[in-house]
Amino acid sequence: MENLEALLHGFTIALSGNHIFLMVIGVLLGILVGVLPGLGAPNGVSLLLPLTFGMQPVSAIILLSSMYWGALFGGSVTSILFNIPGEPSSVATTFDGYPMARDGRPTTALATAFGSAAFGALCGVVLITVSASWVAKVALAFGPAEYFAVYFLAFASFVGMGGSPPVKTLVSLAIGFALAAVGIDTVSGSVRLTMGIDELVKGVNFVVAVMGLFGIGELLVAVEDEFHVKAISSRVDWREVFRTLIGLPRYGWVLLRSAAIGCWMGITPGGPTAASFMSYGIAKRFSRRRAHFGKGEPEGIIAPETADHAAGTSALLPMLSLGIPGSATAAVMMGGLMIWGLNPGPMLFIEQKDFVWGLIASMYLGNVVAVILVLLTVPVFAALMRVPFFIIAPMIVIICAVGAYSVSNSYLDVVMMMGFGVLGYLFKKLHYPLAPLVLAIVIGDKAEDAFRQSMLMSKGSLGIFFSNALVTTLVLLGVALLVLPPIWQMIGKMMARSPAQR
Amino acid sequence: MVSRRSLETATAILTGAFGAAVVVSSLDNGIGWSAAGVDAGTFPFIVGLIIFGGSVFNLVKGWPGNDYAVLNPSELKRLAILFVPAAAYVGLIPLIGIYLASAIYVFGALSWHKRGAWFFAGIAAVATALALYLIFELTFQISLPRGLLGEALGF
Repeated sequence: MENLEALLHGFTIALSGNHIFLMVIGVLLGILVGVLPGLGAPNGVSLLLPLTFGMQPVSAIILLSSMYWGALFGGSVTSILFNIPGEPSSVATTFDGYPMARDGRPTTALATAFGSAAFGALCGVVLITVSASWVAKVALAFGPAEYFAVYFLAFASFVGMGGSPPVKTLVSLAIGFALAAVGIDTVSGSVRLTMGIDELVKGVNFVVAVMGLFGIGELLVAVEDEFHVKAISSRVDWREVFRTLIGLPRYGWVLLRSAAIGCWMGITPGGPTAASFMSYGIAKRFSRRRAHFGKGEPEGIIAPETADHAAGTSALLPMLSLGIPGSATAAVMMGGLMIWGLNPGPMLFIEQKDFVWGLIASMYLGNVVAVILVLLTVPVFAALMRVPFFIIAPMIVIICAVGAYSVSNSYLDVVMMMGFGVLGYLFKKLHYPLAPLVLAIVIGDKAEDAFRQSMLMSKGSLGIFFSNALVTTLVLLGVALLVLPPIWQMIGKMMARSPAQR
Repeated sequence: MVSRRSLETATAILTGAFGAAVVVSSLDNGIGWSAAGVDAGTFPFIVGLIIFGGSVFNLVKGWPGNDYAVLNPSELKRLAILFVPAAAYVGLIPLIGIYLASAIYVFGALSWHKRGAWFFAGIAAVATALALYLIFELTFQISLPRGLLGEALGF
C-alpha cells in the first residue's frame, strides 16, 4: 500500500502541464529517431542529454524516458510499413508485420503491434511499481562484495543469454571495461591507459561511444543495401483500430507469456532485442498456427512487440534500484542520472522519492501518450521515410559529430566517434553485440571499485565472495549463467548425433 | 570483394592489438597487491588479457569455412561513398570550423547524388549551418568549433 501512496504522489508530479508537454516532445522526437535509419533510442537519448543539464532531474528523466518509449514505437512503424526495422529490437516484428501490411491490412498490423506493445509496457511498469522499492530495500543491505556479485551476475547473463557468440560478447564487454578505465583512477588517483595522449586523462565518454557505435556504425550497415522504399498505404482506419484492440484479449496467453519473457530479459540485461527474438521463437514453436508464421500471423506480431516493450520498460527496474542498467538506452539514461548529480541505486528510493515516483508515474502516462501520438502521426512519419537516404545520411553524420563534440567541447571526441563508427560497423557485421560495450563503459568504474573495496575488506582474499549465503548464491548463479548455455548446447549436439550414429 | 574470413581476421587483429596495448599500458600502473590494496593496473591488466585471449579465439574460429563474400563490389562502393566524405568532413572541422564544414559536406553530398540540383543543395547547405547555429549556439549556448579559419577571421 505504501507503494500505491507513493505512486499517487508521483502522479501529482508527472501530471503537471510542463511535464505532459515534455512527454509529448519526448515521444515525438523518439518516434523520429525510431523511424530514421541510423538513429535509434541510445543515440537519441545521448543527443538530448547535454540539453538537459539545466533542467530539474525529474523533468529531464521524463523527457528522456518518453523519448525511449517513442523510439520503441517508431521502430515498429517502419518494420511494418516498409519492412525496414528502425530499431534492432523491432527486427522480429518485420517477420509477420510486413506480410500482413502488404496483404492489405496495414491498420490491423499497426494496431496489433501497438496494442500488444502497450500491454507489454504496462506489465513492465506494474512490475517496477510493485517490486522496485522492495528490491531497493534488499539492496540497502548490500556491501561491496554483494554489489560486485550483482555486476558479475549481470555481465554473466549477457554472455550466457544474450544470443550472440559468447566469446564475442566477452570481448565486447572487456573492451567496454578497458575504455571505462581510461583516465584518472578514482581510487589511487593515478592516470591509466592514456597511451601517451594527454587529452585522454578526462576518460572516454559513453556518449561518444554511443554516437559512433550506434549512429555511424548503423548508417554504414544501412547504406550497403540499396534503399527501395515500397510504399504501403499509411492511412489509419480508426474503426479497424478499435476492432483489433478489442480482439486482442483472444491472444491472452501469448500476451502474458511474451510479457513474462520480456520482463525477465529486461531485468537480467539481455535487452529488448534478444527478448523479441526469443519471444518470437517460442511463440512459433508452441503455436498451433505454426504454419502461418511469416505470412502475417497476428501471434507473430504480438509475441515480439510485447516482449520488446516489456523488456525496454523493465530495463529501468535494475537501473533505479541497483544502479545496473538493463539495456543500452537504460545505460545512457543512467549516465545522465550520474551527470545530474544523482546516485543510481537503492539510496534513490530514500533520498529522491519525488524523482523515482515521478518517473514511474510518468511511465504509465508516457506510454499512453506514445500510443495515441504514434497512431496520429503514422502518415507523417511514413512520409518521412520517402526522403531519400542520401539526404538523411549526411544529416545524421553531422548530428553525431556535433553530439560527440558538445559532450566536452573536444575535437578528439569527434575523431574517436568516427573510430567507434568503424568498430560499430565491423561488430554489427560480424555479430558482436554492442550493448555490453556501452554498459561496461557506464558501470565499469563502479564494478571495479566494488571489486577493489571488497578486496580491501578481505585483505586480498577471494573468499569474501563466498562469505555469506546471499553473495554465494549471486556468484554461483552468475557462474551457472556463464557455463550452462554452452554445456546445454554440447548435450544437445551429442543427443542429435547419437541416434544418427546408431 | 571482401570475404567473411578477412573481415573476421581484421576485427580480431584490431581488438587483439587493443587488448595487448591495454596489458602493456596497465603494467605501468602496477599489477597485484600493495599497501593500498589492489593496484590500479590490476583490473585493466586482467581485462586486457581477456580481450587479447578472446581475440585470438575469434581469430582462429573465424578462419575455417568463412571464405564466402560478405561485401560485393557495389556494396563496397556505396560504403566508400558514405564513409570517405564523412571522414573528410571530420578532417575539415579543425581547419575551417564545423559550420563551414557542415555546409560544404551537405552541398557536396546533395549535388553529387542529384546532379544539377545546385540551387536545392545550396539552400540545404545554408539551412544546415544556420540550424546548427540557432539550436546550439543561441538556444543551448554550446559553442561549436570555428576552426583555424574562424580564428583567423575573428569569428
